[in-house]
Amino acid sequence: MTNGLHISGDDLALHAMQALTAEESAAVQAHVAECEICREELSAAMGDLALVALSAEQQPLPEGARERFLSRVAEDAKQAEHHAKLAKIIPFNPARAGKVSVWAPRVAVAALLIISAGLSWEVKHLDERLRDESATLRNMAEKNAWAQAVVDLLNAPAAQRVLLTAAKTPPAPSGRAVYLPSTGALVFQGNNLASLAADKTYELWVIPANGTAPIPAGLFRPDAAGNASVLLPDLPKGVPAKAFGVTVEKASGSDTPTAPILLVGAAPSAGE
Amino acid sequence: MLIRVFPVPMSETPFNPIGAHTRSLHEDGEELRQSGTYATSEQLLMERIRIHDQMAMAEVFDRYGGLVYSVALRVLKEPAQAEDVMQEIFFQLWKGAGSYAEGRGSLGAWLAVVARNRAIDSLRRRKPTDSVDDVVLPAKTDLSSEIEQNLMIEKVRSVMKELPPEQQRMVELAFFEGMSHSEIAAKTGDALGTVKTRIRSALMSLRKGVQG
Repeated sequence: MTNGLHISGDDLALHAMQALTAEESAAVQAHVAECEICREELSAAMGDLALVALSAEQQPLPEGARERFLSRVAEDAKQAEHHAKLAKIIPFNPARAGKVSVWAPRVAVAALLIISAGLSWEVKHLDERLRDESATLRNMAEKNAWAQAVVDLLNAPAAQRVLLTAAKTPPAPSGRAVYLPSTGALVFQGNNLASLAADKTYELWVIPANGTAPIPAGLFRPDAAGNASVLLPDLPKGVPAKAFGVTVEKASGSDTPTAPILLVGAAPSAGE
Repeated sequence: MLIRVFPVPMSETPFNPIGAHTRSLHEDGEELRQSGTYATSEQLLMERIRIHDQMAMAEVFDRYGGLVYSVALRVLKEPAQAEDVMQEIFFQLWKGAGSYAEGRGSLGAWLAVVARNRAIDSLRRRKPTDSVDDVVLPAKTDLSSEIEQNLMIEKVRSVMKELPPEQQRMVELAFFEGMSHSEIAAKTGDALGTVKTRIRSALMSLRKGVQG
């Protein structure tokens, strides 16, 4: 703390020369440590001393002084390098090793406990995941079984397919399409279809809602009872349908529908 | 308590003796380039010493060995003791170059003051009274070239010779003999205050003489 009070320049100069008593120097030191102004003044006094030092008559170095110093430096550098190598090669410290032997079993037990706790948690976590995934699999299997049952029913030649109409109305060719635009999945079931010549086939068409060309959705021929099915033909995904139609084409099928369209049904909406 | 504590008009700016001298040299463009080059090379030398580059240490020794030895010999008057002091100072620099920071002034001026302090310690057969870290010079000074050293030495001696004899004597006793102010007072018969004032006056005259 200076409080505007400072060490005199005389005393700072003497302090720089180590010409004060120990008590006086201690007092100066304590003040200078906290006073920037006196610190600068002391530094200036040191600069004055450097000038006084320069006033000493220049003398040649004693013979061999340079070599003696450089040899000492070289020896020190060599030892430092040697110690550095030893530190790299022999990291083993006997004193430290003694401590390790005492603590090693405790540290090992602690480590095992930690590892064991970690493994228990991991096992529990995996068990929970397994239960969740098993439930998911069961659910999927049930859905698949139901879907397979539907498909089997629709495909089964022995299945009785009966179209219910108004009483006393003669049966007419008809078809029913179930279509999911987002996946392109389609199931078609035809009934009372007339038999065709060997070089002819029925062809199902999806007529897109966006006005583009009709998309071929599968060839089919009816059985003796006039029933036929088209299940999951290869169709593009994401195409909403405006309508569905059935035409008679050559046996190999056609890229474009040939008039007349025997069956046609408008989709209730462009959505699913 | 001998220390007087009182308000001091600190109008005197911190003294940078050799910096002032360097400015006069810098009027010559060639000298300016030399000075800048030396200052930079001095920093590089210290960096190299910090990573134990023996060639750099040899270069620093070649630059300042004579100065350090001369100061130590002036104090000790015994070549073997002076060399011991010199060797220890440079070896300490080699072992702990980090203790010398650029902000402590030029390496040459710093070594000169450290040489005097170590020599006085040796003269009094006492352990080093302070760490070399305590020696902080006012600003960067440039003694790194032989030209700078010789010019500065010449100027300092010229100013010293112009000092009043009693001031010269007291600076000699305090700086090179390592006598305390009370010892000087006892030896010369002057009052303690007179001793202090003369030493201080001598240093201020030296400072102003070199600056001018």
